[in-house]
Amino acid sequence: MRFSDLLIMSVNNLRRRKLRTVLTVLGVVIGTASIVVMISLGIGLQEMTVAQYASSGSLTRIEIYNDAMWNSDAKEESFLEDTKIAQLERLPHVTAVSPILQVYVQMRQGAYSGSSEIMGVSREVLDEIKLGEGRLPDPNANTMELVVGNMVSRNFYNSKSGRGYWETGEMPDVDLYNRQFFMIFQSNGPSEEQTEKKYIFPVCGMVESKTDENGNPVYNEYSYGIYTDIELLKEQLKRIYRKNPIPGQPTNKKGKPYNYFIYSQAYVYVDDMENVVSVQKEITDMGYQAYSNMQWLEQAQEQLDMIQAVLGGIGAVSLFVAAIGIANTMMMSIYERTKEIGVLKVLGCALGDIRSMFLMEAGFIGFLGGVIGLCLSYAVSALVNRFLGAGLMGMGGAAGAGISRIPASLSVLAVVFAIMIGMLAGLFPALRAMKLSPLAAIRNE
Amino acid sequence: MGEQAADREPVADKETAAEKEQAADQESVAGKEQTTDKEQTARKVPVIRVKDLYKVYRMGDERVYALNGVDFEIFRGEFCAITGPSGSGKSTLLNMLAGLEPPSKGEIVIAGKHIEKLNEKQLVSFRRERVGFIFQSYNLIATMNALENVALPLSFRGMGRSERIRRAKHFLKLVGLERFMKHMPSQMSGGQQQRVGIARALAVDPQIIFADEPTGNLDSKTTLEVLKLMRQIVRKQGQTLVMVTHDNNLASYADRIFKIIDGKIVSIEEGKRDDEEI
Ligand SMILES: Nc1ncnc2c1ncn2[C@@H]1O[C@H](COP(=O)(O)OP(=O)(O)OP(=O)(O)O)[C@@H](O)[C@H]1O
Ligand SMILES: [Mg+2]
Repeated sequence: MRFSDLLIMSVNNLRRRKLRTVLTVLGVVIGTASIVVMISLGIGLQEMTVAQYASSGSLTRIEIYNDAMWNSDAKEESFLEDTKIAQLERLPHVTAVSPILQVYVQMRQGAYSGSSEIMGVSREVLDEIKLGEGRLPDPNANTMELVVGNMVSRNFYNSKSGRGYWETGEMPDVDLYNRQFFMIFQSNGPSEEQTEKKYIFPVCGMVESKTDENGNPVYNEYSYGIYTDIELLKEQLKRIYRKNPIPGQPTNKKGKPYNYFIYSQAYVYVDDMENVVSVQKEITDMGYQAYSNMQWLEQAQEQLDMIQAVLGGIGAVSLFVAAIGIANTMMMSIYERTKEIGVLKVLGCALGDIRSMFLMEAGFIGFLGGVIGLCLSYAVSALVNRFLGAGLMGMGGAAGAGISRIPASLSVLAVVFAIMIGMLAGLFPALRAMKLSPLAAIRNE
Repeated sequence: MGEQAADREPVADKETAAEKEQAADQESVAGKEQTTDKEQTARKVPVIRVKDLYKVYRMGDERVYALNGVDFEIFRGEFCAITGPSGSGKSTLLNMLAGLEPPSKGEIVIAGKHIEKLNEKQLVSFRRERVGFIFQSYNLIATMNALENVALPLSFRGMGRSERIRRAKHFLKLVGLERFMKHMPSQMSGGQQQRVGIARALAVDPQIIFADEPTGNLDSKTTLEVLKLMRQIVRKQGQTLVMVTHDNNLASYADRIFKIIDGKIVSIEEGKRDDEEI
């Protein structure tokens, strides 16, 4: 038989018993909707958690620390310097490694002075900074351009009163973006009297400053730092200190500086979230301390997977009940149509066609239930997001997307799954129909 | 019984081979000469050959011999009636000929094929290709109209819709139901329903048509009409018709009448009526 003929026969049989079909479909609708809504909640929860971790730093980044440079007994080989950075770069799945060079500076603007750290970083790190104003440093510039953290100005205090934001709670009258300020690098050695040189560097951007519902600025990982290109910072430091040791850089036993820079910290970028934990393990094995957001997320993920499984399980139970409903309906229909099936067989309908006919009938119930159930899921999902989502916004979910999320793949999967459940439930009745005796058609009851 | 069957097997195979050759010969001859129906019957090309056929039903310890050693041949283009008292085994015989029930023992050869050796799947395709069936209780599909009912068995052969409808219309006209094509079975009389049943059996252009008491549910006037119609069409198309009936008057319209009592053929008579009488 042609596929179209089989389909028409199946659909006609369903139309014949409208109420029963509707009730059976209803079961599948509820089953599909409950499983989709449950999974959508799981997905929402998961995505919210990921977003939460991602907001506190990239998920593909590993931060490594090396405290050898603070340790006076440490061997020179244990320092984290450029050859080590290159070595890390060669690890599989690592896309980039950025060393971080930290320099403590004093700043002055008008009556206020404050302090912060200049962080010399490579391009990859700069690219990650979300800016509120301005632009990132020009990669071709040959003077240091600064990206200033949105909360750096909190560390300024009035030089006369000696009081600042932390004491008074009032923001100092400092504008690091629109007005110039001086930077004073720490002097080296004990000779305090050495003349302090003041430097002015152009500020090209400010770190993004979000505010919460009360209008208070929200902290992010770049809020208190001043960021600039690491190579330009190195050149600048060399110009300032010449042959003298640079404060913050270790010296050898004789108090002489090394002729290269030593870093206490570096960022390792990994190609994919999946690989972060394995790369992190390799780095720890190399003797560094390493941290990543992914590491925490992975732990959270385990709990989420459990929640996901429980939610899915609840949904699955109702779909299972619906499957029993389909099987029952199909069985009833076969008992009623025993004679008709016999007639089909006497007239020469192939056994496979009879089986297909019933399988398609069951599959069609699944299909209808799946599609309608999916529509219902979207409605329920919208309601949940409207009334429940608002309360959960504070949990750090991105505004706009609610807690129940139905991705396109879930929609497609749900319908396909419903069809498969329908056919699976219809399999036994279909085989039963196939084996019915044609003699049933002959006997006159 | 198992041993017996094993003993018989080689002989049966030889016979089949010889028979097939013979049948093929005769078929080609028949095709060439375009003989008339009467002549064809006279030539006696066997379409159905039954040999030593038994059907035993076990009812607890008791054994019911529904068929108790039946031998006969039916020829191409022949109209045969099977008569006998109730419970004599008529339906059992017919069902076995149509491959709806396996025999306990014996051979059924139809168009050179051993029906008793076919499996369920082969039997279905055998019926689809060669057999038309007319039921006592019509057995039309209640949700389909007359036209769709007639077209149904054609869809089992994978025939396209328009071709199916065309053929179904042709056969509905042939049985005189051109005005009832869109009627559902519930909107037709018994006689009309049986005509649809006949059209359905004929639509697949079968070699052999089986009918189990096709007029059992009709009054005597309609019975005769339906019988004449069946006979007429089958004659015209050179098909073989095997009809079960317990009505001796009806049986007398057949070319030959097989009389069965207690599972045995007790007599085979020639029909007494000429075509002109119909
Ligand atoms: N499935 C079965 N199980 C047991 N016995 C059966 C079965 N089918 C038929 N019989 C027996 O076989 C015998 C022949 O039955 P069959 O139906 O062929 O009779 P029939 O000649 O068609 O009768 P009727 O004219 O009443 O239709 C009967 O005695 C019947 O009881
Ligand atoms: Mg009978």
